[in-house]
Amino acid sequence: MNIYVINGPNINLLGAREPEIYGKETIEGIAKDCQEKASKDGHVVKFMQSNYEGEIVEWIQDAIIQKVDAIVINAAAYTHTSIAIHDALKSYSGYKVELHISNPHLRESFRHVSFISSAVDSVVAGLGADGYSHVIELLSELPIKVD
Amino acid sequence: MSNGKLLIINGPGLSDLSELNETVHDGLSLADVKQKCIKTCEGFGLEVDFRQNDDESELLSGLINDINNFDAFIINPAGFAESSFIDYEAFSTAINKITNQSKPVIEVRIENIFKPDISRPLRGVESGGVGFVSGLGQYGYVLAIQSINKKLSNK
Repeated sequence: MNIYVINGPNINLLGAREPEIYGKETIEGIAKDCQEKASKDGHVVKFMQSNYEGEIVEWIQDAIIQKVDAIVINAAAYTHTSIAIHDALKSYSGYKVELHISNPHLRESFRHVSFISSAVDSVVAGLGADGYSHVIELLSELPIKVD
Repeated sequence: MSNGKLLIINGPGLSDLSELNETVHDGLSLADVKQKCIKTCEGFGLEVDFRQNDDESELLSGLINDINNFDAFIINPAGFAESSFIDYEAFSTAINKITNQSKPVIEVRIENIFKPDISRPLRGVESGGVGFVSGLGQYGYVLAIQSINKKLSNK
């Protein structure tokens, strides 16, 4: 299975950014955990992060062209603003998981609306940085159609 | 291996899953979910009590009575999320009590409750330190158990 893990703005600051909310794990550590879990099950993970909305849209479009089997997306702050990412995800027909390290529904009211949730199959939030590797592990069990 | 005790609570309406969106439901019954949970917990050495109750006050008093008897909680509030204000307040208070003890709590929804064709309001678990999993069908419980096992192992 080919999996894109796409991360939005400020995720590159993990470990240093508000560790009381996001934990001490760094993005490099998370990427490594994902790669390890994936290779154990024979999957290939492409782990990406961008602070630019357009680049995230292009990665989703790339996933459509490359017929990637699943996308795990943490759109971070763009979750609450980006109709462009919503539209790109709607065009992608593989399996889609929205992921957040913290639980946005328990935080400031401006984080309560997600433009991503209605465009994906499932939502996982508030499981900490380990949420990524748990989701990668679970993708093997899910009845996902692989080309 | 964490050897913790996990309470899984399923709210009103979950006794019959046939009402769910067909793609998620796919012949799934609560007994299937229960079996999946028990098997997953066994693999981790977790003790599990899997409950479902259509009666909100029984469900709530069961939860309150057992907060000190379990190390972690998975809650699918289902119909509870749309219940009366008083019950909901009491429910939130119980969840706060759990999080204040630094015990893991994860809200699991079988369907993606944010899909426009489902549209169930998120009024379940809304206190700090609570995880949320929605739309993964019975595998949402598996994910939550994996996460809880990791959290308990790290303690």
